[in-house]
Amino acid sequence: MKKHVVFAAVALGLAAGPALVHAQLMEKTALTLDGAKKIAAVAETKAKAEGARVVIAVVDEGGSLLLLERLDDTQVASVNVGIDKARTAAIYRRPSKVFEDQVKNGRVSALALHGAVALQGGVPIIVDGKVIGAIGVSGETPQQDEDIATAGAAIAASFTK
Amino acid sequence: MKHITATVTGIVIAMLTSISYAESVSDKHGLTLEGAKKVIAATVAEAKRVNAPGSSIAVVDDGGNLLALERLDQTFAASANIAIGKARTSALFKKPTKVFEDAIKGGRTSMVTLGSDLQNFTPLQGGIPLEWEGKVVGAVGVSGAASAQQDEELAIVGAKSLDNMEMAGMTNGHTPLPVTYIDRQKVSDSFAKGAVLVGEDENMMHAARNYMVHASHRDKAGVVEVHELDTDIVYVLKGSAQLITGGTPVGIKIVAPHELRAPVVAGGEARTLVPGDVVIIPNGVPHWFKEVEAPFDYYVVKVR
Repeated sequence: MKKHVVFAAVALGLAAGPALVHAQLMEKTALTLDGAKKIAAVAETKAKAEGARVVIAVVDEGGSLLLLERLDDTQVASVNVGIDKARTAAIYRRPSKVFEDQVKNGRVSALALHGAVALQGGVPIIVDGKVIGAIGVSGETPQQDEDIATAGAAIAASFTK
Repeated sequence: MKHITATVTGIVIAMLTSISYAESVSDKHGLTLEGAKKVIAATVAEAKRVNAPGSSIAVVDDGGNLLALERLDQTFAASANIAIGKARTSALFKKPTKVFEDAIKGGRTSMVTLGSDLQNFTPLQGGIPLEWEGKVVGAVGVSGAASAQQDEELAIVGAKSLDNMEMAGMTNGHTPLPVTYIDRQKVSDSFAKGAVLVGEDENMMHAARNYMVHASHRDKAGVVEVHELDTDIVYVLKGSAQLITGGTPVGIKIVAPHELRAPVVAGGEARTLVPGDVVIIPNGVPHWFKEVEAPFDYYVVKVR
């Protein structure tokens, strides 16, 4: 089985023994480029089947871009919107729709959240209950964007270390 | 009379329409996501071949807008945006970004102010324009490899993959390159003095891609040569020579971009070449025709 995620174990203090490691460090699961490609491929297939012209962005846990695809004939403005949606979902560990809904329901102050865009279409990538990254889609309607992102993110359930 | 006027008016309008069509819009080629992915795949393959410590590869269209990006595992996160900036800068100016790095390094510091107007202006080596039939259709930017130099080398390989598609005739309706034919008289004249058969003058378009052909001739020993980019595939036709490969060149000098020369080499492996022998000297390997029994003629294909 091909590895889509890896353990990112920090080497600091390893020599000091397992107990100390346990106290000072934690094991984390990191999304690889290979995993990001699998997610984007699912989203791309769904987008093409629907004739959707979208940007698909995949970011890591820290919100930094790992992979991006702009399907042919997609509006260029969607590049940054797609990245922004993905970053929002990654660093706030929830779908970006949450913030769009909050604003819609009167919590306008959600617009002030640092590093977030209150736009539906960013979905976290979850492995073993932890958010290890996110996918953001932009280009069509907010609902269609999110559906495509959700389809991509869902494949992460099959990822193993 | 009325009929004629109307017809003439109609003709004039038709002419104006066709003229204004010709002047108002033009045809152009746009890079597809598939094309962008091929450029990235070629760049990634090269990064792995040279054991680059990492890299982010960005491909933008002719407007500098991102089409595709990949960040290899373990590559530092900031490299993604730097790669986008290099590609964008290269596409918008239709130049390698090294031009700007060199200009600023050379004292034209005021060039950094371009950044305020151009979003993500990145005057750092590692951005290369993507050309199709002589027109810039986008650019590739690389960041996160061992050095800015290596960033650029990877980007060049990526950019060339687009040319290769054209050369291979995988052009979706575009015309493949013409066949090159060189008659025996020209070939034998070239061997008589030693000459570039393909890669210069009217055949320069080949060199702009990925190979050259030399009709080489030697009357005496040469110097130690190192080609950073070219792999030499040698077929011996006439005479014999002692060839030293490998070792450490002593007193090395750069004589042209990616071309190094030295008077001698320390160490290395010696071989005697005779007609019929084939030698393949990979790029980066020092080689030296130390002793020559003239006339020594050999056919060389240089591959990049």
